[in-house]
Amino acid sequence: MSKKVNSSVGAALHKVIMVGSGGVGKSALTLQFMYDEFVEDYEPTKADSYRKKVVLDGEEVQIDILDTAGQEDYAAIRDNYFRSGEGFLCVFSITDDESFQATQEFREQILRVKNDENIPFLLVGNKCDLNDKRKVPLSECQLRAQQWGGVPYVETSAKTRENVDKVFFDLMREIRSRKTEDSSKSSSRTKDKSKRRKLKCTLL
Amino acid sequence: MAPPPLVTGISPKEGPPGTKITIRGENLGVKANDLIGVQICGGDCSFEWQSRNKIIARTGINGTKGKGDVIVTSLSGGAGTSTVQFRTYTEMIGPLKESAVWVEESPVQSLAWGRRTMAPSGYSQEDPLGLSIEGNEKKFPDDLREIFPEHSGDLSRENFSPCWFLLENHHATSFDDLKAGYSFLKRKVEGQKEGQLSFLKTHVSAVIDQLDTLMNLKTKMEIEGEIDLAKRVNNLQGTIEKSIESSHELFDDVLSRREKADKARAALSVLNRYKFLFCLPTNIEKNASKNEFDIIVNDYARAKNLYGKSEIPLIQKVLAEVDEIILEIRRKLHQKIQEMPQGVEQQKRFVKSLINLEIQQVGTIQSEKLKIVDPAWGAIESRARYIEQTFKNTYEEFQERENSMKDNSKRDLNAPPIRVLFCEEITEIATGQFPDLWRLGQSYFTGELRGINEPKPGNFKQIILNAIERFCSYVRAAILPQNQKFQAVASWAFTSSSQLQQFSTWLPTCLRYLRVSYASLIRLDLPGEALDIVLKLIDELRLFCLTTILKRAIDKVKKLHEKETWELTVPEFPGATALPSKLEEILVEVLDEGQQICLMMEVRENPLFDTPNSEGHREVAKIVETILSCFSNVVEELATERSDDEVQHMPKQLIGFPTNSSLLPHSINLTEAKSTISSTITITWEHRLLCCLANSAYCNKTFINSLGNLFVKFGYPIPKLALENSRTIVNNVFSNLLEIYVEHKSDPLVSTIEPSMYIVSHFKWNRVEKFDNLSPYTHECLDNVVSVYSEIFAVSPFLLRPILEQIIQTIAEELARLMSCVEEFNVIGKKQATLDIRMIRDVLRVYSNERAKASFNEALESIPKLANDENREVENLLAIIKQQMKLQLMCLTVLNP
Repeated sequence: MSKKVNSSVGAALHKVIMVGSGGVGKSALTLQFMYDEFVEDYEPTKADSYRKKVVLDGEEVQIDILDTAGQEDYAAIRDNYFRSGEGFLCVFSITDDESFQATQEFREQILRVKNDENIPFLLVGNKCDLNDKRKVPLSECQLRAQQWGGVPYVETSAKTRENVDKVFFDLMREIRSRKTEDSSKSSSRTKDKSKRRKLKCTLL
Repeated sequence: MAPPPLVTGISPKEGPPGTKITIRGENLGVKANDLIGVQICGGDCSFEWQSRNKIIARTGINGTKGKGDVIVTSLSGGAGTSTVQFRTYTEMIGPLKESAVWVEESPVQSLAWGRRTMAPSGYSQEDPLGLSIEGNEKKFPDDLREIFPEHSGDLSRENFSPCWFLLENHHATSFDDLKAGYSFLKRKVEGQKEGQLSFLKTHVSAVIDQLDTLMNLKTKMEIEGEIDLAKRVNNLQGTIEKSIESSHELFDDVLSRREKADKARAALSVLNRYKFLFCLPTNIEKNASKNEFDIIVNDYARAKNLYGKSEIPLIQKVLAEVDEIILEIRRKLHQKIQEMPQGVEQQKRFVKSLINLEIQQVGTIQSEKLKIVDPAWGAIESRARYIEQTFKNTYEEFQERENSMKDNSKRDLNAPPIRVLFCEEITEIATGQFPDLWRLGQSYFTGELRGINEPKPGNFKQIILNAIERFCSYVRAAILPQNQKFQAVASWAFTSSSQLQQFSTWLPTCLRYLRVSYASLIRLDLPGEALDIVLKLIDELRLFCLTTILKRAIDKVKKLHEKETWELTVPEFPGATALPSKLEEILVEVLDEGQQICLMMEVRENPLFDTPNSEGHREVAKIVETILSCFSNVVEELATERSDDEVQHMPKQLIGFPTNSSLLPHSINLTEAKSTISSTITITWEHRLLCCLANSAYCNKTFINSLGNLFVKFGYPIPKLALENSRTIVNNVFSNLLEIYVEHKSDPLVSTIEPSMYIVSHFKWNRVEKFDNLSPYTHECLDNVVSVYSEIFAVSPFLLRPILEQIIQTIAEELARLMSCVEEFNVIGKKQATLDIRMIRDVLRVYSNERAKASFNEALESIPKLANDENREVENLLAIIKQQMKLQLMCLTVLNP
């Protein structure tokens, strides 16, 4: 992980993972964010990788998006993917109650894999342009976000691009603040490490 | 140069060689052939350019394993970079491994079962180092793959890497523990190496225990005996069989799963194979809504060919559904065919599609539900109906317009009347629509649009005839005057004569419209019968047009009298004026116009005057007769027309009337008045009368005959009868005028003889005293005759004889009457009377007819016979007087002046 940051041109890299049931619009959100395009035809994703430079609060950073498969067929390989993630967008469709119920499982799996209650996490209700076909009441969504320790809840539309940038940028901000926290916590140790490395170099 | 390509997204991000990958990014080539290469993990890929932001590629088999960049190379941007990486892996899948993708098993199978029969893939050594691995989470499989490409942490693999293994399983184990583990492993290996002896040494107690146990076993078995052994063997066999069974079960499970997968695959391929068929209903409906019936026909034919004979119930069901839809489309097509207006090509296309569908559907159950009617015939009928309806609508619309026009009379008189516009419109419709109908019919009969049924003959011709008949009758109603024969369809009478008048000048325009559309109909090769209908109308119109033009001449002729100048301009007939030539001018004008517009034949038209006694002949003759009789009227009118100021010019009277005193002042006034009038009217009434006489004589003799040549010149038949009739009329005019003139001249002349003879000088034949000269009345009479002569001669010498003969006859008759009334002559009186009468008789001999001569003789006989010497005396004197008056009387002696 640290190696990758070093190998890139110096900008911070934030790894975002899209999770959620099949067909809720994870890929649509990703493609809309990445390329400003809305893909109408549905093709189930296996695992897609995207990375680009963005300017986050005046600072150039890289965002790496791992777009995962929503289908149950791939549930077994999710663990591996989740491990590398630094932040999660947990997506469901407001027109599909089942996808909303599934978020509970995703949340649990992420917490199990990451073993971290405060992992950067956003609950995203997609397809809000289809409000007339809404099956999941807004209050219920907000309630669940509350129960999960106050994670933010945002409604988006990959079709109209509503809040698309917002969810990605909000998540990146959370990841960034988590990283600065971590580095300040373990600053002493990193110092030690660097010293040791230096020594090794001289020895070699 | 454009910026180099940059790959920022791949979908999916990992897969075995041959995976289809969607690559997204920036500047991935401006067009398809700008993109020249895609490399994934160092291996070239096949690719398909979608847009500058999207490529679809398939990874090749020659790339390296593991993670690698995705490099896109374009002509415009060169080799690019990527921010994402693709991971290639080979999947090692055993028969029991769960897999999200179906892997073709057959080749793998032989490998797996052939070599690794005794080494189930699930086998792995638990803990080779003898250390607890609790708390050691497997954290780095991804990273380990990167660090040690080509290696594996699996102990059973050839490429086993100890580092990998340790990092994977013992990254949290302390170094001391690892050391302990190492020595444990070492011990284990050494233990295996030291051989049986050392092995026995180290395990001596255990060996002894085992030997004891074996001994015990042996003794026990010997006690229990043979049967028990057999039982145990059986037991063992049962257990073995059980395990075989369960292993079979296990294998069956695998087999059944494979079977399931096979089935699913077969179903998928069936779906794929029959995709066309299953999508057909929706495709047909989609195409139907887009009016792409050709595609439907093709698809349907294809489906019929491919699956028509299939006995699979599913396909039959789908086909039945398709047939149902086709049936619906046929209904729809039937409607579409009959929809009007539409282009004939489109209609033909619909018909063809429908026929195709009908033919293909014959024999299916659904086809029974819809009777096959001849669609092309329906198209023809609806088109014919549409044409007739269009005619009717147009007709009514224009009729309505004319009615509304009537109210505002401010209409521009130069603008064409509504009827002309109607004519233009309807001929345009005919020119535009008939070809469509005809072509449709032709393609129907040539078989292009033939359906299952044979074409219906006969009716089509009737339809064409009807449509043309309808067209003609509307035109006829609008243009031609009402005719009993054709009033059936519609009547559009002219409401006022002025309207008719105004319209008639536009007739040639209408004729032209009609001819244009006729020409276009001819080009269609319509049957002769149909063309004849139009031809008949055209002929009628031509004739009507011709008569209208000729009738215009009548009006002009009626106004000719305004144009008389009284100039004697005809050299071959002195006395005739320019009037006949003016008539000729008018005739030339109208005949020329008539010839240009009506007589000239265009393609497939008949000559108007092909047979004698045709309607054309009669019409023209009638009009010509009217024209000429009008002309005669004009001539007569001109002759009899007298202004009020003009009073009869009295013949000269030497010896005054008894009423002389009272008449004289009046006559003076008259001469004064005349002199004033002469400045304005230079030509006297007598003069004009004579001119008219001359004109009518001229017409009678030569002019009317020469008109015949005029007709020949312009290609008209010579209206002989009309010319003859008009000659008679002109002749009558001549006689009338002659009578008027003669009466006018002879009455006063004759009536002066008696008074001059008796009353003025109180003359008595029995008291004549001297005999040396002519009596005064004789002088006077001769003078008057000469003056009339001169008047006529001044105008036309041709008229001398007919006029003078009449006058002289009355003179002779008067003299005979007077002489017979004389009661008594003395000797001198006898001589005197003989002298007078003989003088008159001799002088007027040239212009005396038989009756005049007889009257002169009668007069002479009334006088008592003269003695011979007396007779000689009279003759002498006569000779002397004749000599004296020679100059004066010479004019009367010329036979043919």
